[in-house]
Amino acid sequence: MSDAKKIVLAEDNSTLSLLLKFRLEKEGYKLHIAADGKEAIEMIEQHNPELILTDIMMPFISGLEVISHVRNKLNKQTPIIVFSAAGQEEMVLKAFNLGANDFMGKPFSPNELVIRVKRLLR
Amino acid sequence: MEIYHYLLYYFENSPTIIQIVWIASCVLFISILILIVYLKYLRSGLRKNEKTVIEYQKEYESDLITYLYAGNEEAEISAEQQAIIDKLKSCASDEFKRRIIVSTLLRLRNEISGEMADAIQKLYFQSGLISYALKRLKNDKWYVVAKGIRELTQLHVKEVHDKIVTLVNHPKKEIRKEVLLYLVTLFHFDGLKFLDLLQTQLSEWDQIQLLEVLQRFDEQEIPDINQWLKSTNESVVAFSLKLAKIYNQFEVKDALIALLSHPQKNIRIDAIHVLNHLQVYEAKPILKNNFDNLSQEEQIKFFKLLENLSEISDEHFLLAHTTHQNFEIKLLALKILKTLVVEKFKSMKDFSTDADYVKIYEYLAYN
Repeated sequence: MSDAKKIVLAEDNSTLSLLLKFRLEKEGYKLHIAADGKEAIEMIEQHNPELILTDIMMPFISGLEVISHVRNKLNKQTPIIVFSAAGQEEMVLKAFNLGANDFMGKPFSPNELVIRVKRLLR
Repeated sequence: MEIYHYLLYYFENSPTIIQIVWIASCVLFISILILIVYLKYLRSGLRKNEKTVIEYQKEYESDLITYLYAGNEEAEISAEQQAIIDKLKSCASDEFKRRIIVSTLLRLRNEISGEMADAIQKLYFQSGLISYALKRLKNDKWYVVAKGIRELTQLHVKEVHDKIVTLVNHPKKEIRKEVLLYLVTLFHFDGLKFLDLLQTQLSEWDQIQLLEVLQRFDEQEIPDINQWLKSTNESVVAFSLKLAKIYNQFEVKDALIALLSHPQKNIRIDAIHVLNHLQVYEAKPILKNNFDNLSQEEQIKFFKLLENLSEISDEHFLLAHTTHQNFEIKLLALKILKTLVVEKFKSMKDFSTDADYVKIYEYLAYN
């Protein structure tokens, strides 16, 4: 388990976080859950994950700020997948401009997420 | 004791107004104290309640995730899943717990799709939560019914369509709105069949909401809207006109042309607008022949249609209206003429001495 690739998941919907944690841990990844952007940044700095999953709209610090922090402050090229809700197309474009690698529109299939995670961590 | 006697003596010997002020101050002071204690009690009650909600939420979240991953291929429902179903069934009888369970299911249902979303809906049925939502539909309070319909919409319960559709003409507009959203969210364009039954008016806001929901879907094939354009319910006609425009329903052009003689002016104006959008040339001679009987707004709409659909044969008609009393019509007539036959336009500098005409001509000549 210590060799498991680490993923930080920043999502304010605790039920979704729990579901994704369960699903991704089943695939052999180690998940660190953050309930908001502030916590996510702390976890990224502390755990140095191989992948970041982040929602765009979160309390305190948004997903966009998390991406900006990783790319510009920490200067890390960690792959980032963003989750967006319907009507947030502009935000998704901003996320890509900031350096996000992929996005998934909500509602999404957890199985599809697993495929994308595997692809990015190959 | 001496202070007490002194205060009593002071109070008794004070003027009446001072006594009243003292009494009022004491009453206010005591009231504030009581209110502070009550607020403290209320706040601690709310906090306790919040804490309980979080605890139950965590418990049900964990049950839900276990349920979703506890399935096996041998049995339709595994023993672990059945235990969770039984637990939720018994919890659902308590309204407080039921609310938390439903909100937990919804929180996840709104975020995921595919097999897991279907499994959540299955759990909603298996745990008997559906029966509580159906009971709400029969409640006397309108907001309980509206919330029940919303819950069924969010959980994508298509099976209760026949029950919901009976509420389409409910006297309360909030319930009607939820019914329409249920039908369109779950049945997409097929859900629009409620327009055949609708006797009440669809407000402008309802129409916007319905169109917004419809635009979320990938399929853009809409059912035949001919009969809705002929509806006796004016709001249905107005909504169908919007559908005809957004989804380019060229095949309903005959029904659109028929609407040019609709008794309602707004419908006639919207019909001209849609005919313009769909570029229905057949509408032009009808409107031209009836031009003098049209209202001013319709005349302006018609000139806007001509802006798009004018042909050389319209030259005489346009010429005749370059001196129309309405400024906008005058402007549009000259503008179209300039685009259509520029030589004719150039020769019309001194066609009229009307101040507006001169201004419009000069503006168009240099722009």
